[in-house]
Amino acid sequence: MDYILEVHHITKKFATGSREITVLNDISFKITKGEGISIVGPSGSGKTTLLGLCAGLDQPSAGSISLMDLQLNRMNEDDRAYVRNQHVGFIFQNFQLLPTITAFENVTIPLEIRGEKNIANKAKDLLARVGLEDRITHYPSQLSGGEQQRVAIARAFISNPKILFADEPTGNLDEETASTITELLFEMNREEKTTLVLVTHNIPLARNTGRILKLKQGKLEEDSLVS
Amino acid sequence: MDYIIKIKRKKINLLKDRWIWKLAFKDARHNIGRLFLFISSIVIGIAALVAINAFNINLQNDIDDQAKELLGADLEIDADNEEFTTEFISLLDSNQLIYGGDAEFPSMVYFPKNEGSRLIRVKAIEGNFPFYGEIMVWEGSDTETFYGGETVMIDENLALQFDIQVGDSLRLGRAGFIISAIVTQFPGNTTISTSFAPSVYLPYPRLEETGLIQYGSRVDYHKYILFGDKSEEEVLALLKPSMDKYDYRYDTVEEEKENLGENFNNLYKFFNLLSFVALILGSIGVASSVHIYIREKREVAAVLRCLGASGWQVFYIFFLQVVLLGFIGTAIGIVHGILIQYLLPYIVKDFIPIKVNIQFSWIPVAEGLLVGLIMSVLFAVLPLSNIRLISPLAILRSAIEPVKKISKFRYFILFCMLMFPWLFAVSQTKSLIQGSLFFAGLLVTFCLLWLIGWLIIHFTRRFFPVRARFVWRQSLANLFRPNNQTIILVVVIGLGSFLLANMAMIQNSLLGQVEFAGSGERPNTVLFDIQPYQKNELLEFVDEENIEVQQFVPIVTTRLKSVKGRTIEEWQEDTTDHIPNWSLTREYRVTYRDSLIDSETLITGEFISSISKTNDSVFISIEQGMFDRMSLQVGDEIEFNVQGLPVTTYVGSVRKVDWQRIQTNFMVVFPTGILEKAPQFYVLVSRIDQREKAASFQKALVKKFPNISMIDLTLILATLDEIFDKVKMVIQFMALFSVLTGLVVLSGAVVNSKYARLKENVLLRTIGALKKQLVGMTLIEYGYLGMFAGFTGSLLSIVTSWILAKYFFEIEFFPDFISLAIIWILVSLLTILVGWFNTRSILNRSPLEVLRKEV
Repeated sequence: MDYILEVHHITKKFATGSREITVLNDISFKITKGEGISIVGPSGSGKTTLLGLCAGLDQPSAGSISLMDLQLNRMNEDDRAYVRNQHVGFIFQNFQLLPTITAFENVTIPLEIRGEKNIANKAKDLLARVGLEDRITHYPSQLSGGEQQRVAIARAFISNPKILFADEPTGNLDEETASTITELLFEMNREEKTTLVLVTHNIPLARNTGRILKLKQGKLEEDSLVS
Repeated sequence: MDYIIKIKRKKINLLKDRWIWKLAFKDARHNIGRLFLFISSIVIGIAALVAINAFNINLQNDIDDQAKELLGADLEIDADNEEFTTEFISLLDSNQLIYGGDAEFPSMVYFPKNEGSRLIRVKAIEGNFPFYGEIMVWEGSDTETFYGGETVMIDENLALQFDIQVGDSLRLGRAGFIISAIVTQFPGNTTISTSFAPSVYLPYPRLEETGLIQYGSRVDYHKYILFGDKSEEEVLALLKPSMDKYDYRYDTVEEEKENLGENFNNLYKFFNLLSFVALILGSIGVASSVHIYIREKREVAAVLRCLGASGWQVFYIFFLQVVLLGFIGTAIGIVHGILIQYLLPYIVKDFIPIKVNIQFSWIPVAEGLLVGLIMSVLFAVLPLSNIRLISPLAILRSAIEPVKKISKFRYFILFCMLMFPWLFAVSQTKSLIQGSLFFAGLLVTFCLLWLIGWLIIHFTRRFFPVRARFVWRQSLANLFRPNNQTIILVVVIGLGSFLLANMAMIQNSLLGQVEFAGSGERPNTVLFDIQPYQKNELLEFVDEENIEVQQFVPIVTTRLKSVKGRTIEEWQEDTTDHIPNWSLTREYRVTYRDSLIDSETLITGEFISSISKTNDSVFISIEQGMFDRMSLQVGDEIEFNVQGLPVTTYVGSVRKVDWQRIQTNFMVVFPTGILEKAPQFYVLVSRIDQREKAASFQKALVKKFPNISMIDLTLILATLDEIFDKVKMVIQFMALFSVLTGLVVLSGAVVNSKYARLKENVLLRTIGALKKQLVGMTLIEYGYLGMFAGFTGSLLSIVTSWILAKYFFEIEFFPDFISLAIIWILVSLLTILVGWFNTRSILNRSPLEVLRKEV
């Protein structure tokens, strides 16, 4: 099998004062290229922590994670940043756009970091694809929540990521906007053939992916395919 | 399966990365307001530095340019208390040197117009002196009749004090004169020096008719030489043998420059200290404001890290902003500094005898630029380096703190941060020891304030009043909760009050010195130059005026003939001893009496009160300083030349003398029964409590005994008060830089704590806390901090001002607890005010508005 992400027996512990809390306990799974999976579970079950570890935002306390055969847990922070820039896209619940630059500039940032030139057309095309061709010079504060999330989606896809991590992408949006954003996200994911890792509370949303990992109290309780 | 664990990343030159520059610029454009504190810290620190350094350079240049005008001639020769010998005058004449001269001594002046009188300095001018420089006079004045020997001139202060106009008359001793000119500036004089003892300028040939120079009169004789077509070396070669023979001292223009430079040393030191403090406070401001800024930028940094930016890329975005704004702040500071230096000559004009011409100089601009950039970068780098370590995970969890890594880089920066103020202090004071002492003093104060801040946190937590009311508990708990600003606020506020309190205490000690000398039953009036023939008549007059005579002291002028069996010449030839030449050759004014007075304490030996037989050995009492200086022992022989007669004496006792007291104190006291027949004059010491009585007594005294002068301590006190008011103004103006920077830093620290408290206050507001309660909590919290820090700063200032008074000014220390209390209260109120001002933005808005916008 051709795996894009391999998680082997990872554990994550946090120290709070003199106490140590185990947030994730001995979790293992693999994701194949192009697969879509959802991570679900109640609050405090460790969903976001697992997403952070898989995306190389943090290091596990034990175990190993490899993304595209790159062993993230043995890399330093700047190497992991490089991996994220080359292969990973992100979408967050609260959009996380840079407030002091325009929608267009927000979209171009991953390629700017990569050092690529002639990126303006690609950014404009993407903004047009998410329906914001007339908002490219707007600042995040001048956009609605749904529009901000569209900009975030465009930003996530501009670097042609191999894998996309989305943390509650519709959590801050009303039902109608959430549905539009979900459609857009899955449509672009299909077109780009990107692997998708989605963290959500929303079981109907999770069912849009082919596989669901269910966490409970830091343990992988269930790994099931959506029928 | 093989996994890759090391990435081969493309090398990127970070500073050539266009997007870093673009993002830095765009982000800074939106954050100018937030970086206001950062820019302000640099602007004030650099403005102070540039203004002071530029002024110092201009002052030095003007001293160089105007030294000739200050001296009034090419060479000044000083004969001390004796008239120049005819041999020396002949030498000047035979060499066809152009010269002038003067005789200076204190005396009383009397104005018949309004019967006013006061102690002045007579300056009897011979020839066309001054040769250089211009005598500035009131309109309508005439200096020609003065140089014609017909009239006198007086200083402006004197004219203003007694409402005197050109054409009025005055009396000096026995003679009357018409005033033809009111002098506003005589080369070499300062306003301050003339307010202590204003001058009356008299043509030298008219001196004798005043009858003021009598036995015992203390007159300084000077000759002023113009080199003409001769060189300095030629003139000195001609005159030096004769000057050495008669022990005349001389000053060239070059030496005058050096002397002036030394005189301004304290002014430079004080200014440099202020620029040092302003700059250090500015540096704290830089560090504090960048710390706040970076705290706000954590989320942006986390997003960039998440999208793949390296730690250094993120660091450079904000580093570029800091460098750019640091440069802008430095430039604004330089412009302000240049403008402020134009004000300084007006502020200090009363204290300096030269006209300061402000000219633009590149040196302080270059210094300001260099120091500004170093300051903005060095003190910003440490808080900035935190952004490099922000985890991308902070995007998902805001509570994630940057990893605290003590890297070599951080150690290096910390080392540079310590070196910068030290090197700066050394370069400003141009002395390794003084600069190091400044730095050490500041470091110790910092450490102590830091410790106090830590103790406040520790003890508040330890003895927390769990049963106190909610508002009190909340505000007290803010002192030790996470993200508290207790230590930084205590350091900043404490340092501000420390500086202010030190200034107040030193001023009080200097003033107290004089007030103490005249307090209680201590003498406050001294009459001097009393001749033997006036003794009885004067005592009768004083009795009639109902003035109590506390001391009536005879004074005999003597010189040393031999010490410990060796003549003065032998001592002078011996280069192995450490006895200063002046202590061997000077004139000693001695007295005789049968007991010690209250300003004297016997240290060793026995005070011999009198001798009864003419062939008894004469045991004298020596002052401790003279005893040590001349390496004497009790029993050593000292032979005096008393007006031509040799008198052999032995050291009988050693006394400690309190020289600060306004009364007659002596190096040498003879027993009674030996000097009574020697030529002598007298000093009368008394106490007159009412100002009016002193004035009327002085008026009557001048009329009846024109040669006798009177020192009125209350008048000196009034003059000193006036001078201190002017000094205070200079100090306060210059200290304004430090205070302003302190306020910026204080605001920075409070803003910092505002962000730390923002979420908590909004949540409290959301769950129903009243505005009154939040205001109460803010005021109490900042009240505690202001009180503790102000109190600590003031308390520390007692120690440092004691050290400064004792070792630097060498005066008695008088703590001023009232000023301390005022400073303490003001600092506390100011802290509360700044605290309230900064939190008012949260208090005045709805919780939802704040929650949406900032949380």
